[in-house]
Amino acid sequence: MIAVHSENCTGCMRCVLICSYTYTKKFSISTPRIKIKEYRAEFTEDCNECGKCVEQCFYGALEMVK
Amino acid sequence: MSFAGKILRVDLTNRKINKYDADLAKDYIGGFGLCAKLACDLIKSEVTPLSPLNPLIIGAGALVGTNAPATSRIYAFTKLPANGAIGWGGGGGATFACNLKFAGYDAVIIEGKADKPVFIRIEDDDIDIRDAEDIWGSGINETCEKIWEECGEGGILAVGQAGENLVRFSMMYIDRLSTVGRGGIGAVMGSKNLKALFVRGSGSVEVKDRKRFDKAVKELLERMKSYPYLKEWQELGLLKSLPAIPRDVYLKLRKRRIACVSCPIGDKDVLELDGGEIYTTSAVNLMTPAVMGMNYKDAMRLTAKLDDYGMDMFEFLGILNFAKELSEKGKLELDSEIDFTSLDSMLFWAKKIASREGTGDLLANGFAEMERKFGVKPKSVVKGMRAYTTPKGPLIWNLFGTMELGQILDPRGPHVAAGGSPTYFAKRPPESFRKHLARMGIPDEKIGEILSSGIKIGKLLCHSHIWFTILASLGICARAQINRFYSADICAELYSAATGIEMSKNQLLDKAREIWRMLKLANFRAGFTREDDLPPEDWFDDGFRDYVTGEPLTKEDVERMMDEYYREMGLEEFMRR
Repeated sequence: MIAVHSENCTGCMRCVLICSYTYTKKFSISTPRIKIKEYRAEFTEDCNECGKCVEQCFYGALEMVK
Repeated sequence: MSFAGKILRVDLTNRKINKYDADLAKDYIGGFGLCAKLACDLIKSEVTPLSPLNPLIIGAGALVGTNAPATSRIYAFTKLPANGAIGWGGGGGATFACNLKFAGYDAVIIEGKADKPVFIRIEDDDIDIRDAEDIWGSGINETCEKIWEECGEGGILAVGQAGENLVRFSMMYIDRLSTVGRGGIGAVMGSKNLKALFVRGSGSVEVKDRKRFDKAVKELLERMKSYPYLKEWQELGLLKSLPAIPRDVYLKLRKRRIACVSCPIGDKDVLELDGGEIYTTSAVNLMTPAVMGMNYKDAMRLTAKLDDYGMDMFEFLGILNFAKELSEKGKLELDSEIDFTSLDSMLFWAKKIASREGTGDLLANGFAEMERKFGVKPKSVVKGMRAYTTPKGPLIWNLFGTMELGQILDPRGPHVAAGGSPTYFAKRPPESFRKHLARMGIPDEKIGEILSSGIKIGKLLCHSHIWFTILASLGICARAQINRFYSADICAELYSAATGIEMSKNQLLDKAREIWRMLKLANFRAGFTREDDLPPEDWFDDGFRDYVTGEPLTKEDVERMMDEYYREMGLEEFMRR
């Protein structure tokens, strides 16, 4: 599962951009399966925890945990 | 392709909204290049900056909206109120730039003047001009909060009271976080009765060749991740180079680090002071008044207030310095003492200027008008603005590099940087520049010329301006901690992959040179000649020194650099006859 460390989130939206790009082939901030609300990541029901968002996070706000 | 495809044109006088194809973006790279071309075509020589006929042109670069790192910049072009130059301001911020692209627009052109205060709301194709009377008179923070309350999530470009009141050093603010200055660009919005633009885009940005684009982005990100100073840059940002405040004090104040969209090395902050939050484009800026003798907490309180008024802190301090000098000469009677160490005194003057009360009304007109009125030349003022780097200014730096020469040769006037040239604020041996110059796309032979017997600052500045034009047209941040990972090759590869327009490195460099020359020549036709580029006389009285040798510099030395620059850029019109 993906652990969220909101205290580290900078709002850079790299997670959001890669998510939309991975699943729609287009960059967007309105279609992804991860949303950032007040620096807190929330996942839609469609999220399959592929981990692309974790790879793109440079700030330690998202972490893949087993 | 990664262009949004449309240009939006809003006529505030007639409340007309038009859209047309942004094919021009393909001919001028996009972003900075596109807006520069629109500005050169649309801004008439005879139009004055605060006239309804002066357009405000705002655009986002070719890579904005993608996940190429740190591609979140917008550029705004107009005729600048501080000096009448066809100039620009740029900024990153939170989501304004990407929302503009996602809404379907590469650029917005705003013309005319509304008959009462308004803001423009853009949501994809749904655009309206809304009443802003209830937010007119509000600071940046309240303006953004109220618009978000009314319109929901989205990007905001706004002015504070300084812009409304046509202060010649007012700025525009993106998402209350980033400044778009200088030159009094905020006053252009004020002159149009335009308080803000709100934009939200539900659309998307595509890249033409995903495989090629992904490969280039992956390589960039891997290099960034393995950069040994990544954590330090993420933690301190510009404070790493300019330690305006002790690290532990800064970290105690910091509530949250903020990054522009897509940036892996964010350098903006929410700081906590007096139980409230301060949103800032850079902690270094926030602390700058401390250099004048103020304690750091008062420095933060002052800069936060100036940001809320939407006013340039450097210019504010500079104009007060000049007012104090005039007062001491008996030429100007002040409403109150000017004490740079006192928060009360500075807040008094900030309010006076932003609201144009008393003597503040005069100071709000800026250096050019003050010089005309009193017949006294202010120190270190170039094209109606105080230079950032002066031998005895707030940023103490007496070596003459590209930033210093850029202060006088940039057509818009002095600014903090233009191109991420490696001479800024860190004296390094000339040979260490070789790799930076190579990534900027400068050919080996030319690098040899630049680094022969010291550094040829004029030649290097020419290539820095070309490099800056590439970054700005793509929407890439030019700050040192970002642009060090990019090269002209990578830029050409990303541009080709994203847009599907095949562009070699050399073609990109040639196009960027064409754009910069076009802008400089448009200003030449508008009356800006070599005379306007000359350095202030006070730079040479125990002033600037040679970047490499540290020997005192003469005006003649700088004029030689100017000619070197003009020759390299192909601007013979500006050369000595």
